[in-house]
Amino acid sequence: MLLTLIRRELLDNLMTFRFAAAVLIMLLLVVANTAVLIKDYERRLAAYNTALKTHHQQLWERKTYSGGKLDIARPPNPLSIFNVGLDKQLESETWISHSYVPTLWDADMLGTTNPLLNLFSSIDIVFIFEIVLSLIALIFAYDALAGERERGTLRLVLTHSVSRGQILLAKYISAMICLLVPLLMSLLLAMILLMTSVTISLSLGDFLRIGGIIFSSISYLSVFYLIGMLISAATTRTGTALMLAMFVWGFSVLVYPNVVIAAIAPPQTSQAGMVSTFNQIKQIWEELDRERKHFLANDPVPGEDPSFGMVRSGFAYEYFYEDASVLYYHYGAGAHVLELNEESEPQVPHAQDYYRFLVPRSVDAAERTWLVRKTALDTVFVQPAIVDRILLRFSPVGMYDAATQAWAGTDLSGLRDFFEAARKYRRTVIDYYYDKNAFGSRQWFSADKEMVDWDNLPRFSFQKSDARINAERALPDLLLLLIMNLLLFIVILLVFQRSEV
Amino acid sequence: MIWHITRRELYDNLNSLRFALTTMLLLALMLTNAIGHLREHPKRMQKYNDAVSESMTRMASHTDDSLYKLAQEGPGKLYKKPSSLYFCAAGGDPVLPDTIEGGSPFGYSEHLRGVWKLKYPDANINMKRVGPDVTKLDWAFVIGYVLSLIALLFTFDAISGERERGTLRLMFANSVPRHIVLIGKFLGALISVSIPFTLAVLINLLLISTSNAVHLNTEAWGRLGIIFLIALLYMCLFLALGLLVSARAQRSAVSLVILLLIWITVVVFMPSTLASIASEFSPPMSSEPFWKRRNQIQEELWQKYSRWVWSGKVDKETLTGKSEFFIQDAEAEERLNQERLTEKVAQVQHARAITRISPATLLQHLLESFAGTGFERHLQFVENTHRYARQFREFVADTDRSDPESLHIIGVREGMTKKKILPEAVPKFEDTLSLSKDFNTRATELLLLVLFVMVLLSGSYLAFVRVEV
Repeated sequence: MLLTLIRRELLDNLMTFRFAAAVLIMLLLVVANTAVLIKDYERRLAAYNTALKTHHQQLWERKTYSGGKLDIARPPNPLSIFNVGLDKQLESETWISHSYVPTLWDADMLGTTNPLLNLFSSIDIVFIFEIVLSLIALIFAYDALAGERERGTLRLVLTHSVSRGQILLAKYISAMICLLVPLLMSLLLAMILLMTSVTISLSLGDFLRIGGIIFSSISYLSVFYLIGMLISAATTRTGTALMLAMFVWGFSVLVYPNVVIAAIAPPQTSQAGMVSTFNQIKQIWEELDRERKHFLANDPVPGEDPSFGMVRSGFAYEYFYEDASVLYYHYGAGAHVLELNEESEPQVPHAQDYYRFLVPRSVDAAERTWLVRKTALDTVFVQPAIVDRILLRFSPVGMYDAATQAWAGTDLSGLRDFFEAARKYRRTVIDYYYDKNAFGSRQWFSADKEMVDWDNLPRFSFQKSDARINAERALPDLLLLLIMNLLLFIVILLVFQRSEV
Repeated sequence: MIWHITRRELYDNLNSLRFALTTMLLLALMLTNAIGHLREHPKRMQKYNDAVSESMTRMASHTDDSLYKLAQEGPGKLYKKPSSLYFCAAGGDPVLPDTIEGGSPFGYSEHLRGVWKLKYPDANINMKRVGPDVTKLDWAFVIGYVLSLIALLFTFDAISGERERGTLRLMFANSVPRHIVLIGKFLGALISVSIPFTLAVLINLLLISTSNAVHLNTEAWGRLGIIFLIALLYMCLFLALGLLVSARAQRSAVSLVILLLIWITVVVFMPSTLASIASEFSPPMSSEPFWKRRNQIQEELWQKYSRWVWSGKVDKETLTGKSEFFIQDAEAEERLNQERLTEKVAQVQHARAITRISPATLLQHLLESFAGTGFERHLQFVENTHRYARQFREFVADTDRSDPESLHIIGVREGMTKKKILPEAVPKFEDTLSLSKDFNTRATELLLLVLFVMVLLSGSYLAFVRVEV
């Protein structure tokens, strides 16, 4: 019986104008936008590759270990084509050094030649699904029950020995099959376009993630179909059902996500907290500076110039750089001595002692700074963003968006992985320096005798987190979507059971 | 007769569910908009005023020092004045840079600093956004997205619904010309959507104007009036579209599906997709060749002037050489910066021009320009800073010229006047907004919008005349 019902519904749905229109518009939008998105991804990838080359060159131009910073870059995420998330919003190029650990706020943008283009919002595949799929689902659902009731066919069906639950189930299954057609077809086309591009290579993990995105899309679709069905079950006329469905759609997809953030006042950032944290950070470095001066004062060599007067060609530098708005405070010091004064050869051991004393301390200070800074910046900048995202989740659109972002790895945690990797890489580099005994070596500040060894320096490459971790991150939102599905179905069942035909 | 039909439509609509929902939705949106504006605008103004006064203080300290210091350090940061009609159209202002830097000479050494030049920051510096990317809730959003959708929801069954119910046949049985029926229906829908919209706008403006936080002058009210008329015109466009499709479609459900799909394509997707496609064609200079050219020019200047630049002598020849080096270096960099900016602007203009096919973009552009926000406004700000830069340089030259003891060599301390200058005499930057500036673009866009409405109205007339009952 169930099968007969499903077949009937399927035939009813497939032969309609709305079905054809839905398929057509989905294909059109997805193909046009995917082509644009792939172009954009290729451009960003090219910029990333150029950046890698430049970084490599710049590393080789450095003749001393203290030469400062190591640039690292984050490759663009190919899954940003599905949901761009923060992939383009947050910067992708940053640097590390022994005295510096980057946070989310210390990166530069890679691959945008024209930031003014941010004026135009970018569209990804999930955004198309968010808007079009939900609308199509509602259009399919609004007359599912109300229409039959109006035409009187519902009464006819119920005269047979079919339970109402079965009718609902049949309607649900057949409509979902119909709705899957535009979804899967457009995804298939998008995948074909992705495959034809030579620059994009997808790993097995990526396919799993795309699978996760598809599953989330289906749950999202189903939520909207059920919302439509609920409206249809609760109203007696299709006209009313349609109007209600459209307003529900407009509100939950269009209005709510944009309004809720504007409606709720952003929390006041506590300036006092920022100032005290900044002072705390300053203190860490001032303490280092005190120790440094103390060391220099007790050194048998007169004077406090860390270059020890031995530079003939090249340079030595020392600077403090601060930016209170993002709690940035950095002490950079190093030397790039190409040639030594002959007579200052005896100074070299002192310089070595000095750096052997100073550098491990600045490594330590940098880490302590990072810890303080990250916590403070998180409370000031990230907490409000998280609250915003929680608010967005009151609409299925928010859940769907968050779930797909987590799958694609373009959410906040996905991007944090990069900075975590940068921090780990910094540890490796420092271990490497320790192995080479670089801090106390002559090559730390001078390039006159021995060459520095950049060949064996471990290279940075950012590996995306495992697909399993993506799944774990997506799970809460996915579960919310599924629970919503279940709840809606139960409510529909109750409403429909008690409704009069 | 028209009035009769209109009234019938109106009564029909006023009692309907959609009218109630529309009123609620528009009121809620406009209230949120007003509250948000009242909360944000004072902060924005405060930030602007603080920044300007800080910049002024810096300039005053340079003025106190000497004319040389002023000529070297320049006017400092120049800020874009926030528009008081920000709530009408935020217009990408959150992503556009709000400052242009006129200062920061490059220091070769303590005694060898160049002169100031204009620099264009790429984007708003506080752009590190980790929050979700959402559209600003402004009038442009309410009108462009919500109102257009509502207009469609009010007209999709205007004709096809009557045909389904059979009342259309009844109406034609009377001796009413068809165009009268159409105009009546159009007016009826127009008035029924206008009522909740006008109500919402009035409440929004009431809230904003009664608060002390925001002051609207006469000109601002005039602009608001124009914006309201543009909104009505835009609404007409979608009403006409709804009538057209409704006349052609056999069933109202089909009519709605077509209309919604058109709406999604035209309003939601077309602006961004077309912009992305169009911006592919004219990419600006990327930073690598830019720096290459910059370095090359600098290298050439070094070669030419190195004889004087490092010399410690203070004779006229050396000083002139130094001055020429500084000024040419600054000029070259400024020219290069400007060139790059022009290319970037051209790319955006390109994309903007092409997206004008979508009425939603037309509305956005028009609202932005009348609200004094957005891209065109930004260009005006850039233009203002250019004018000011010229004025500032002229002031420095004139002041120096008025002192007979000075050597009149700009950019080196020894070559310039040592007289005190009055801080009041230094020209101040004033960011003004003029409507007449590019009235041409505005007029084109307005005409385009009117054209759209005319075409759709006549289309619906033709469709309705030929409709078979």
